[in-house]
Amino acid sequence: MTSPPHSPRRRSFLQAAGVGVGALLAGAGLAGRAEAAGGAPRLREDPYRLGVASGEPAADGAVLWTRLAPDPLAADGHGGMPRAGYDVGWQVAEDERFRRVVRSGSAVALPELGHSVHPQVRGLRPGRQYFYRFRTHGRTSPVGRFRTAPDPRSARGSFTFATASCQAWYHGHFSAYRDMAAQDPDVVFFLGDYIYEYGITAANMWRGAPLPGARHETETSTLADYRLRYALFKSDPDLQAVHAAAPWILTPDDHEVQNDYSDETSYYGLSEEDFLLRRAVAYRAYYENCPLPALALGHGPDARLHRRLRYGPAALHVLDARQYRDPKPADAAEQHAPGRTMLGREQERWLYHGLRTSGARWNLLLQQVGLVRVTENRVDQWDGYPAARQRLLDVLGEPGVAPSVVFTGDCHRSIAGDLLADFADPGSRVVGSEFLGTSIASDGDGAPTDTYTKDWMQHPWMRFYDGRRGYVLGHADAAAVTAGYRAVPYVRADNGAAGFALDRFRVAHGRPGMEKVS
Amino acid sequence: MTTPTAHTAAGRPGSGPAPGSVSGLAAAGGLGAVELTWRPYRTRGTQLVDHYEVYELTAAGDTLLARTLFPHHTHRVGPEAVTRRYTVVAVVDSGARTRPARAAAATSERSLAAGRPVARVGEFDHRGLEFALSPNLSAQYPAAFPEDVDFRHGASDPARDWCYLHPGPGDAWAGRREHTFTLRFDLAAAPERDLGFALWLIDSHATAAGTAELAVNGRAVRTLAFRGGATRGSLEGDAARSGSVLKPSSYELPLAADLFRAGENVLTLRKTSGSWIAYDALGVFAPE
Repeated sequence: MTSPPHSPRRRSFLQAAGVGVGALLAGAGLAGRAEAAGGAPRLREDPYRLGVASGEPAADGAVLWTRLAPDPLAADGHGGMPRAGYDVGWQVAEDERFRRVVRSGSAVALPELGHSVHPQVRGLRPGRQYFYRFRTHGRTSPVGRFRTAPDPRSARGSFTFATASCQAWYHGHFSAYRDMAAQDPDVVFFLGDYIYEYGITAANMWRGAPLPGARHETETSTLADYRLRYALFKSDPDLQAVHAAAPWILTPDDHEVQNDYSDETSYYGLSEEDFLLRRAVAYRAYYENCPLPALALGHGPDARLHRRLRYGPAALHVLDARQYRDPKPADAAEQHAPGRTMLGREQERWLYHGLRTSGARWNLLLQQVGLVRVTENRVDQWDGYPAARQRLLDVLGEPGVAPSVVFTGDCHRSIAGDLLADFADPGSRVVGSEFLGTSIASDGDGAPTDTYTKDWMQHPWMRFYDGRRGYVLGHADAAAVTAGYRAVPYVRADNGAAGFALDRFRVAHGRPGMEKVS
Repeated sequence: MTTPTAHTAAGRPGSGPAPGSVSGLAAAGGLGAVELTWRPYRTRGTQLVDHYEVYELTAAGDTLLARTLFPHHTHRVGPEAVTRRYTVVAVVDSGARTRPARAAAATSERSLAAGRPVARVGEFDHRGLEFALSPNLSAQYPAAFPEDVDFRHGASDPARDWCYLHPGPGDAWAGRREHTFTLRFDLAAAPERDLGFALWLIDSHATAAGTAELAVNGRAVRTLAFRGGATRGSLEGDAARSGSVLKPSSYELPLAADLFRAGENVLTLRKTSGSWIAYDALGVFAPE
């Protein structure tokens, strides 16, 4: 796709930043070796303390990830690594003991990319479980595992999934992830707010743990700040365990950069020019710390984060509802302007084309903020972009477009509702269903109902609300998509809370709308 | 503190410095601040600047003032006029560092607050941590200050009697009404010369900083129009800390001698529009 029109300031940034591919190819394991690998200093400590991960599962492969960091919280953001390139070998095997290695290769961990590697594995069989590990300078990583996507040509393809979002480390423990790992989903959809940029102080440190120190007290701004913030959040063992147990498909929301940002606009006093510098380092740190495809490596302040994956019976439309959106509206007239966009013109066209031509049994939209209509003042959600929402609903309702289910993060609540062809007419037909996932930790313990319950549940199209922490656990096959909510009773005190099931809903193919099944 | 000349990669075998240095470093002295600007470091390929390090050069050694992502930095300084020298180093994504930039110097402006204090609330230090409810308890304002702030110099305690945040009529959490902060102080005699008023803020609302009417003994003096801040001063109180996103501003003006009288004097600041402002310090000063 082409990028949206750039302002003169952004053009000058891009010219200054330039665009190169050498480091990218080396980190992806596609080309090159570390020049200094032979002479790079020996690693005295375990360099895999940030864990291992996989992502972007396809029927024939996945992206593997690790970031070498023997001292993850070293103040300079480089994880205690010497400033040298390291060759990192990787293996993929059919068995956990690596007796049947089916693919192997080498990637280069460069200091420019925070010593992260993102090797792309191909040539695997669909719907199969594989194990992987890394090795560098005589040190072998923990073993991770992933399952390739089901064969899209098979009518019997099915999969289990979980969605997660909003993991404010300082607001609580990630016990929901421990419950998720026990449920053993085939794939995890992460829907935004992997980190939070805010300074961590006694005022917001609700997690029963010591404060992480002065280096984390201020809002993230530099690349080192963002790298450190990822390292802090990724220090949680339950998060690392879910990364090692299943492939993730991630999309960011606002807090990977700054609260509520819209494209080039910061709402916290930064000029456009300064904010684009910040977006560039934030996107870089996001790429370095997540199992993302090569195309997600930013070019200056721009990164291609929306993409489409085929996963068994479903087309997964991974959206970017931050990078191209119009600013918050100044008034109702601007809010309801017909040309207003949440995704940007190009991503809209890309999405609509993909929805119409996916050829899949289901269209699953993985995105950031609530699509369903709630209230006029929720202008950071699609409520602030009603014309854009209507254009999307119109496409979802077109004949020949596969049934659509939307999975959403952001709201820190477990909420489910149907999507109507026209929200102004509650009697209009259902064109899709939306499952908004609660947070892993953001906002602390939560409660079944809270001050937002009335806003959301006032509408006849809403079906469920719960304000506790947790996630969505689902299943998809040719006949139906089911989505159930799971919760933990608390997150602040310790990581000992056990997960439990809340309501579960089923969307049957050919019968729009969700029905409660348990 | 590390020195800017210690930019070699000692202890990091296999590494080297980033080529060149930051160019175009310039310094301009202002009120309570020195503005430093430089040209963005020219990166290559996919390289990014991780941050710049800003140093003050003194006879006693070089002091790291800040790490900033942006090609500019505001050094927050006190009310006195002082000449300072600076340099900047760029640190790129690999951790490599450039040579220090050619040094630049500037002298900060002398604030009215450098005069003899007649009545003062808080320290002019770009921090609001000494005030009541700081740094983030503004939600308690209606209960803690139901009649707004009424502060008597020499008797009241800033930590108890002056709220760090001054709400405006745009703030629903404070009742959507005007709020008046009152500063009372005694003079043995009416002043013979004009006095000065200094108000420093650590931050204000970014898009609705609004206005306040300054009055002395019931006589309106001026309507202050506040500059937009970062909307973070309601949650954090130290604008001098490296990495702070707060956007301080300052407002100073002479106060005619005939505004004052022997005995009790009353200075009021009535927030007449917009949202909140967050205090650093304010006061009335006599020239020395």
